[in-house]
Amino acid sequence: MFYRVSGQFKTSYESDMALFPVKQDAILLAFILALFYVAFPMMASEFTYKALLVPVLIYALAAMGLNILTGYAGQLSLGTAGFMGVGAYACYKITSIFPEVNIVVALLLSGCFSAAVGVAFGLPSLRIKGFYLAIATLAAQFFLVWLFEKWAWLYNFNASGAIEVKGHEFFGLVITGPNAAPITQYYFVLVCVTVVSFAMINITRGRFGRVWKAVRDMDIAAELVGINLMRAKLSAFAVSSYVVGIAGALLVFFWKGAAEPNLFDIPLSFKVLFIAIIGGLGSIIGNFLGALLIVALPVLLNLLPGVLGLEINSATLEHINVMIVGALIVFFLIVEPHGLARLWALIREKLIIWPFPH
Amino acid sequence: MSVIEKAADITASSIGLQKAEERETLLDLANVSLSFGGVKAINNISFDIKRGEVRAIIGPNGAGKTSMLNVINGFYQPQEGVITFRGSQRRSMKPHLAVSHGIARTFQNVALFKGMSTLDNIMAGRTTRMKRNMFWQILYYGPAQREEIAHRRKVEEIIDFLEIAHIRSTPVGKLPYGLQKRVELARALAMEPDLLLLDEPMAGMNLEEKEDMSRFIIDVNEQLGTTIALIEHDIGVVMDLSDRVVVLDYGRKIADGSPEEVQKNQDVIDAYLGVSH
Repeated sequence: MFYRVSGQFKTSYESDMALFPVKQDAILLAFILALFYVAFPMMASEFTYKALLVPVLIYALAAMGLNILTGYAGQLSLGTAGFMGVGAYACYKITSIFPEVNIVVALLLSGCFSAAVGVAFGLPSLRIKGFYLAIATLAAQFFLVWLFEKWAWLYNFNASGAIEVKGHEFFGLVITGPNAAPITQYYFVLVCVTVVSFAMINITRGRFGRVWKAVRDMDIAAELVGINLMRAKLSAFAVSSYVVGIAGALLVFFWKGAAEPNLFDIPLSFKVLFIAIIGGLGSIIGNFLGALLIVALPVLLNLLPGVLGLEINSATLEHINVMIVGALIVFFLIVEPHGLARLWALIREKLIIWPFPH
Repeated sequence: MSVIEKAADITASSIGLQKAEERETLLDLANVSLSFGGVKAINNISFDIKRGEVRAIIGPNGAGKTSMLNVINGFYQPQEGVITFRGSQRRSMKPHLAVSHGIARTFQNVALFKGMSTLDNIMAGRTTRMKRNMFWQILYYGPAQREEIAHRRKVEEIIDFLEIAHIRSTPVGKLPYGLQKRVELARALAMEPDLLLLDEPMAGMNLEEKEDMSRFIIDVNEQLGTTIALIEHDIGVVMDLSDRVVVLDYGRKIADGSPEEVQKNQDVIDAYLGVSH
C-alpha cells in the first residue's frame, strides 16, 4: 500500500538502472537523511553525539570497508583493526609533519597509506582462500599493532606511547581536539560517511562490483570471462582498506581524541566483522543496520531503566544488557542468516504487495 | 540399407565435407600433448576448426574432451604441440586473456555467479570490453553510466535472442537447471567470441530442454556466425548439429570427419561398445 510500485514504468535502461528504481525508496532515504542531518542535531546532547551518533557512523563506515572485501569480493579478513590503525597513525603523522595541511586532504592521504598496506597484506590472497586467508590477515593484525607499539616515531616519541589529537581548524571552525564542538565533529563525520557511502554504492553497482562478486561466487569462471583475478582481488583490498583507513582516522580524530595501540587490537576487528555479518555481507545499507544493533542498542538499553524510573545497579544492568544484545544477535541470525539487509529486503517485498498475499 | 539411402548418405557427407574445406581455418592444433604426472590426458592430437562450423568433440568418459577445451582456452598448458588461433601461434596463454582473444566457453557443471542476477551474470561477460576506471565508476553518472547503458543494450539483445527476458532480475541460484545452462550460454555470447566452446550444453536436460538448446546452438551458429566447438554425449544431438566430428579415446584421436563417416568407423564403434579380446 505504502510501497506500491504499480504505475512506475521504466522506459529506458537508464531509469531501470537508477539508484532508486522505486520512488518510495528515494523518499525513505530522504527521510533518513533528514533525520540525521536535521532532526537528530536539533535534539542531541553532547552525550548523544559522543556515545551514539558518531560511533554508529564510524563503525558503519569501517564495516562498509570490510564489506567490500569480505561481502563483495569474498576475501575473509581479520585485519580490519590493523588497517584502521594505519589510517589513524598515517593521519596523525601527516597532520603533525604538515600542520597546515587541510584535514580533508590528510584524511584522503591517510586512506592511501592504509590502501597500500592492505594491498601488501592482500598479496597472499592470490594463493590462499577462505579461513587460511583469514589467518594471513590475522598476521597483519598482530604485526601492525606491534608496529604501533614499538615504532616510537609513529607516536612522535610521546612518553605515554599514545597519539593525542591536537586542535585542527577547517575553514575557521575547530573540528578536532578538546575544543571542538561535538556538533561540528558530528556533521563532519556525517558528510564523510555520506560521501563514501554513495561512492561505494556507485562502485558496487558498476563494473567493479560485478567483478568482485564474480570472484566471490566462482573464481575459475570469473577468470574465464576475462577477469584478471590478481587485479580484482588487489583492487578489492585497496578500496576496502582505503575506506577502513579513513574510518580509523575518523575514529581517533573525531571521536576518541586519543588512541593507544591496543585500541586497534583484535577485538575491534571482530566487532567490525560482526557488524558486517549481522548487517548483511554484500550490502551497503546492512552496515548501518548492523552498527545500530551492535553499537547503538547497548547504549540505548543502558539508558532505558533511567527513563522508566527503575533502580538497577550498574553491574546488573551491564549483565542484562549483554544478555539482551547477545540474544538479539542469535535471534536475527536464526530468522535471517544473510543479515539485517536481507531481512529488510524481504520486508520490503512483502510491503510492495501488502495487503494482498501475492 | 537400401541403395537409395546409401547414395543419399554419401552425397550428404561429401557436401558437408566440401562445405568445411572451403572455409578458412580458425583454430589449428598440431601434435598437442598434455600430461598430468604420468597420466597422458591428451596424446599427440592434431585437428582443426574451420570458421563458421559446428565441430563436435566426442568420446567415452575420460577420453580427454574437457582437457582439450581447457587447452584451447589456455586453462591448461600443453607440454608439446602448437596451437594456431586466428593465424597466431602459441603454446601457453593466461586463461583470462582467452576472452580478449575471442574464445568463450561454458562449463560441464554450470559455473554461474550464484549470488548475482541473470542480468549481472551476463553483464559480467562484458567485463573485458568495459574500460572506465575507478574514478569514473565512483562518480557513476557521466561516462561510466553511458558505458554501462551501451553494454546493457547489447546484453538485452542477447537476452531477447535466448528468450530469457522473464528471468532478467532473478538470482541465478534460484533458476531451474535448464535455464541456468541457457544463462551460461548468454554469458558466453556476451563476450562476442569468434570461437564458442560448449562443454556438454545438454547434460542433465529433458527432451524439451534439449530441443530448445539445440535450436539456440543452431541459431547462434547461423545468425551470429559464431564458430562452435561442442562436447556432447547425446549422439543424436551431435549427429544433427555438427558439421564435423572428432572422436577421442584415452587421449588419442581415433576418428575425424563428417558425422556419417564417424558413425560407421569401426574404431569408434569399438571405443563406445567395447571389443572382445
